[in-house]
Amino acid sequence: MSMVRLKNVTKTYRTRRGDVKALDGISLQIEKGEFVVVRGPSGSGKTTLLMTIAGMLHPTSGIVSIGEKDIYAMSIRARARFRAENVGFVFQMFHLVPYLNVAENVVLAGGTVANKNSKAQAHELIERLGLAGRIHHKPSELSAGERQRTAIARALLNRPKIILADEPTGNLDPDSAGVVLGYIKNFHRQGGTAILATHGPAAKEFADRTIYLRDGGIDNSGSQ
Amino acid sequence: MATLSLIFKEIRHRKVNFLLGLLAVVTAVALFISFFTAAKASNRETARLMLSMGFNLHVISNETDMTEFLLTGLTDKTMPEEYVQKLASPKGFSYNHLLATLQRKISWRGLQVVLTGLAAEVCPPGQKKPPMVSAIEPGTAYVGYLVADKLGLKKGDTIDINGIALKIARCLFEQGGVDDIRIQCHLQDAQEILNLPGQISQIQAVDCLCFADTNDPVSILRREVASILPDAQVFHARPIATARAKQRQMIKGMFAVIMPFVVIVCGVWIGVLAITNVRDRQQEIGIMRALGYGSGRVTVLFLGKAVTIGLLGAIAGFLIGTVLALYFGPDIFKITAKTMVKPELSLLFWSLIAAPLFSAASSFVPAMIAVAYDPAITLREE
Repeated sequence: MSMVRLKNVTKTYRTRRGDVKALDGISLQIEKGEFVVVRGPSGSGKTTLLMTIAGMLHPTSGIVSIGEKDIYAMSIRARARFRAENVGFVFQMFHLVPYLNVAENVVLAGGTVANKNSKAQAHELIERLGLAGRIHHKPSELSAGERQRTAIARALLNRPKIILADEPTGNLDPDSAGVVLGYIKNFHRQGGTAILATHGPAAKEFADRTIYLRDGGIDNSGSQ
Repeated sequence: MATLSLIFKEIRHRKVNFLLGLLAVVTAVALFISFFTAAKASNRETARLMLSMGFNLHVISNETDMTEFLLTGLTDKTMPEEYVQKLASPKGFSYNHLLATLQRKISWRGLQVVLTGLAAEVCPPGQKKPPMVSAIEPGTAYVGYLVADKLGLKKGDTIDINGIALKIARCLFEQGGVDDIRIQCHLQDAQEILNLPGQISQIQAVDCLCFADTNDPVSILRREVASILPDAQVFHARPIATARAKQRQMIKGMFAVIMPFVVIVCGVWIGVLAITNVRDRQQEIGIMRALGYGSGRVTVLFLGKAVTIGLLGAIAGFLIGTVLALYFGPDIFKITAKTMVKPELSLLFWSLIAAPLFSAASSFVPAMIAVAYDPAITLREE
């Protein structure tokens, strides 16, 4: 059963210097429980693809479905709720809220779904990700690896069906990168669908499938 | 996480932005409070200063010989005392501070003096104000400078006028006018002395037409008085009325120019700070939108902060503005400062309503900018 389905998706950015086609007629299917790595050089459309799958970037044309639902047919509010309940996002820049501590940053994800146990689950996740000793620390007091683990805990809090990770190891040293990829792999082992965008070879060994992007389209030649 | 908790944590994190916003509201509120308190005191001060020139409205019997009245300021014709109550009963008329008096020139102990009996001041309904003239207790008298000087009278002495004993409560300073040969007492005492029970010679008042759009205030006053007292006539001391009106208009005009300027400057100040805050928080807004936080919640975060600034600014601004008015007021308003420059608690109430609204209004556009941020764009930025 397909978890994610894109049908002839294009995304064009209008700029002063003209239109830029970030996604050019992409069609693909990602199965439930699949670990897909999206690779490609900078500017190839990886982030745009992930944002489009996440329901945060309306495609110029085409259909994006998660499960059986065409997410861009939903209202903005319904789509935001659907995203909060089904999609976890991990960014290269962590995007933690600077004035909240580790626990509060994780719990923040629980503020949009009906989850009475979000606090307890957040603490459990924080412990599992080895951040128990940092629970009251602000992002500025954490190492890059700890920040990314906090972001992963936040992404996992609502037990999403899909994790979208955009260059999650881009700012990490090799050890921390390994740890972070391990957590994403662990999510996948438990039946989750993971889509990881990277321009490097990271996570290649974990992937069920690798998709290569070039100039907004899928490069079926498999080369980079 | 509770919205309030998020607001307070963000405030603690970005203290400078918060303090600058607070400073803008405090400045606006403090200036408003001190100006308003000063303007109110100034009105009172003006009224009191104008009082030294005399009331500007005189209601006298229409049998009065106006030539005589204009020459001496006195009339020998009287009216019933209840006229003052009649004049004070209608609402919405253009006069206030009604003071019934009975005056006569008399010979007393070899001197020509003006005996003036004063009733307690009355105000029409809905126009209650502190009296401009302090009431004289029955059985007491205020003695003019020349009378006291010539007869060697001093405070505490008892004088006898036509068989009525009056204890001198005050000997007045030299005024350089008719007040120096005046003996003031309670209206009832004057009526007994002059054997004119229940009679008054005039009703003095202050017109309330300082801001009326008319070049002929006296016709308005005459029409109003005639509708109640057809057998009375109105004499309007125009120079006094004009001086009073100009003074009050000047204060109001100054207030009308300065306050909008202060409010606009502080509003722009808060707005600019709010835009800066929105720019600082782009990624935070982006992540919240990505986590499913709706535009309503994001708006509440920004407007909630603005309201918090407004509430705290209102309290601090009220305190600072009041302290400024209390500190500088007595130097400026030497006559009325002790009684009129005082904390206006009603202004705290209005500040607590207006300042958060003002702050929220200034932050509204930046909040809408925050809501309009596309999370995909902000989260893509590295």
